[in-house]
Amino acid sequence: MFRNHLKIAWRSLIKNRIFTGANVFGLTVAFAVAILLSMAAFFELSYDQFHKKKDAIYQVYSSDQTSRGTEIITANSVPFAPALKNEVPGIKNISRALSENVLITFQDKELNFDAEFVDSEYFAIFSFTTIQGNSKNPIPDKNTIAITEKASKVLFGSMDPIGKTVTMLLNKKEQPFTIASVLKNIPTQSTIDFDVVIPFENHPTYLDNIEDWDAKNHPVYIELDKSITPLQFEKSTFDFTNLHFKNNIENLIRDGAKADENGQFRQVHLTLFKDISFTSFSNNLVKVDKTFPYLVLGIAFLILFIASANFINMSIATSSKRLKEIGMRKTLGAIKGQLFVQFWLESVFVFMISASFGILLSYFLLEPFQTLFRTKVSFADIINPMVLVGFFIGVFGITFIAGGYPALLLSKLGTLQALKGKLGVAGKNGVRNTLIIIQFAIAIILISCTLVLQGQLQYMRNKDLGFNKEQVISIPLNGKRDSYRMVELLRNELQNNPNILNVTGADNNLGRGKDGSMSTSKLGFDYKEHGVTTNMLVVDYEYAKTLELELVAGRTFSKEYKADNLSLVINETMARELNESNPLNARIVLDDSITYSVIGVVKDYNFQGLNKRIEPLTLFMDKEWSLYYAYVKIAPKAIVQSYDAIKEAWKRIEPNAEFQGSFLDENLDRTFAREKTMTTIITCGSIIGIVLSCIGLLAISLLMVSQRTKEIGIRKVVGASVSSITVLLTKDFLKLVGIAFVIATPISWYMMNEWLQEYAFHVSLSIWFFIGAGFLTCLLALITIGGRTIKAASVNPVKSLRTE
Amino acid sequence: MLLKLNNIFKWVQSGGQRVFLLKDINLSIEEGEFISIMGPSGSGKSTLLNVIGMLDDFDEGEYNFLDESVHNLKEKHRANLYKQYIGFVFQAYHLLDELTVKENLEMPLLYSKKSSSERKSLVADMLDRFNIVGKKDLFPSQLSGGQQQLVGIARALISSPKLILADEPTGNLNSKQGEEIMELFKQLNDEGVTIIQVTHSKKNAAYGSRVINLLDGRRI
Repeated sequence: MFRNHLKIAWRSLIKNRIFTGANVFGLTVAFAVAILLSMAAFFELSYDQFHKKKDAIYQVYSSDQTSRGTEIITANSVPFAPALKNEVPGIKNISRALSENVLITFQDKELNFDAEFVDSEYFAIFSFTTIQGNSKNPIPDKNTIAITEKASKVLFGSMDPIGKTVTMLLNKKEQPFTIASVLKNIPTQSTIDFDVVIPFENHPTYLDNIEDWDAKNHPVYIELDKSITPLQFEKSTFDFTNLHFKNNIENLIRDGAKADENGQFRQVHLTLFKDISFTSFSNNLVKVDKTFPYLVLGIAFLILFIASANFINMSIATSSKRLKEIGMRKTLGAIKGQLFVQFWLESVFVFMISASFGILLSYFLLEPFQTLFRTKVSFADIINPMVLVGFFIGVFGITFIAGGYPALLLSKLGTLQALKGKLGVAGKNGVRNTLIIIQFAIAIILISCTLVLQGQLQYMRNKDLGFNKEQVISIPLNGKRDSYRMVELLRNELQNNPNILNVTGADNNLGRGKDGSMSTSKLGFDYKEHGVTTNMLVVDYEYAKTLELELVAGRTFSKEYKADNLSLVINETMARELNESNPLNARIVLDDSITYSVIGVVKDYNFQGLNKRIEPLTLFMDKEWSLYYAYVKIAPKAIVQSYDAIKEAWKRIEPNAEFQGSFLDENLDRTFAREKTMTTIITCGSIIGIVLSCIGLLAISLLMVSQRTKEIGIRKVVGASVSSITVLLTKDFLKLVGIAFVIATPISWYMMNEWLQEYAFHVSLSIWFFIGAGFLTCLLALITIGGRTIKAASVNPVKSLRTE
Repeated sequence: MLLKLNNIFKWVQSGGQRVFLLKDINLSIEEGEFISIMGPSGSGKSTLLNVIGMLDDFDEGEYNFLDESVHNLKEKHRANLYKQYIGFVFQAYHLLDELTVKENLEMPLLYSKKSSSERKSLVADMLDRFNIVGKKDLFPSQLSGGQQQLVGIARALISSPKLILADEPTGNLNSKQGEEIMELFKQLNDEGVTIIQVTHSKKNAAYGSRVINLLDGRRI
């Protein structure tokens, strides 16, 4: 029986070659895409899930109620963590964690590593395994460090690293450290990534800030005791906060802040660490947002849906050819169940073939997929019994529904009805039309999202940010030399090159450079009885000139004025914040005694991402503070040569440090990584979606036309023209696309509006995005069915009537 | 007695009125009979045949087949009953295009759960009996109409039914082929198989032992 079913299935699939081909093609593509997309999504979702105590680990952050609203602060001061553990019950383990680049020297090797300055309890909180050395505490005392396998290989090659002494440049001093342990490489799916772990006490700012509750520069992680809920814990920190931040709180009250729902002006909060890769602290809102992976999963599902809908539609449409078989089988004694199993097996057959091809295809597409979607996911990361079982259940489920529905429909037919070749089910076209409408609605949603996303990306790329991003190269100062000296040397080295216009430096980058780091420094102080918070930027001479910042008032830093280390240049937002009629009169007292004066105001420029409003910014020029980036402005011609010249100059000055210079527009582009990935995914999704929908539409229209051959012939005999018949045949389908458009537009408008709200600077959501999507879809649908329909309409009626 | 119909009515609702397809049909058939059902188009011949073959329901009356009350049976039992005792022959042959002659013959056996070796020997017997061994691997489209009907009859006979229902079996055939098929039916009837055929032709009806005439769903 089973063999007979297979045989029949095989032969009828071969007979309906075109439809089988279209189905297998569509489903294969859909499976491959769905496999890749869900792999990427599950990969994202698996971030930070390897920590054994993941349900008890929290990151600590604070909220301030200011007169401007709630402000979120994730950075903490040095004394904060030890005091919190001592004074508030419920903390099992706590650790500060400061990430920074360090320069490590061993013998003749001198390398930059990502370091994490942490407390010893760090390893009790997180599951970073030791493979050599002390597994309980991998950094047993102040002068020991732990390194990862990977870093060990780079630094020591095949030597045993345990007990080796390396020197580290900390606080401009070389200090010796002993390697106490080697850690297993950090898993790919980890938000925290480092090469070296160093006891926190060694951080250059540690001693200066040991009593300072205002200098905040690191996140704090805790493992909460099982006996206490995070909410209870947050409540029990009220006394602690009110005690240690008494001054801040008084200032907040003075500035007219309103207390939060707990009557607090400052509160310590916890956020689950296992969701940290989805947590954003921007725009003063803590948001755990897993939309992205679920969106990707959703697209995978939608594409599978489109392909399955095609399968259902084509199965039902081609089934008219099998009615005789159904009737005959029933006459020969087949009962409903047997027929169902037979037709369903046929579907299973198609689905199994497609799923296998899909796996194969996804295997071949993995590499381009990884590049395109910027994911590190690999089959090895994902494949485990659970996932495999899930996959098979998924495929089975789809097969059951998409294959089962037509099978059920066919097996339910009455014997005589089937033998007479009549598909008398009235609701049949209803199901078909609904499926087509949903397919096209999905396609239109995806296309309009693509258009909006592309629009936003284009907008972000082209927006005038207020500084020159095309001609300026920023270079991370990762060498051993003093940063001011380094900028000076670079300036001297390049001054004879006519294409190099300016060289300067700053302590922060614009966008994300090749070093991959991004940071913010903020400063809060009291100005004329109200608190002011500003971003800080330490710059060298000619910073404004190099970046072509527009000066609105006053002047910028200049060598002609000796006391410019006590001068400030501020942006317009900061000027408004100071609330002075002439901001150049402002005198600001910092650290209780030093008075700074504002000498200039620059026009607001987007020194942070476009998702943020422009915040207050203050430029300092104080050589006490290091620079971390050099900026070089070049002439618009001979760009490549200029870049190479800078690189060579760098090599001459700092032969041991890697040159990581990059243009600012590249840096900015790097900050759009998320948007770009999302755009790529949705663009690909929409292309695949529309192609699959059109394949389905084509197949259905082919069948429609062949079923209406006689009607077409008769109409022509009584005088219908080719065009009127074409319109007649196309009209029905275009109507479906039209309905899909009406359904899809509000949905995608809503979604895109929500998405754009995340950006302080965004394109306006014009109706043309949606009209464009609808028009494009209609056009594609028309092209798909048009050719075949016109051909059918132009056939000589004598011929079409004779074949009946 | 093979089967007995008592006061069978069948109707369809059309525009609020009942249109009778079968009206008060009483009929009893003994084993070994060869019956021809005749009547003009639309007189209910095929409907009656389908009711007898249990392919179609009726609205009123009783139908007993080999002491089973068909009107009280569920679909599954009814299917079991007819696949065991009844073979069908159609005007349009209704062979499955995707299957070869051999496979078409085998199909009823698959539904009666015969073992593989049993199926093979039964199919071989049948091919032998109808002299179509040489055509066993051909597909229906490669056969002439007469040959296709031959296969159709062979298929109907393969599960050794007591009753063969034939709906205009020669309708699509030329006169020579038709005659051969009718001879075959005659021969089968002589071997003890009960046959009920629907036909338009007096000549074909003459092969039978009894003629039932229908007009507008009634026996006349």
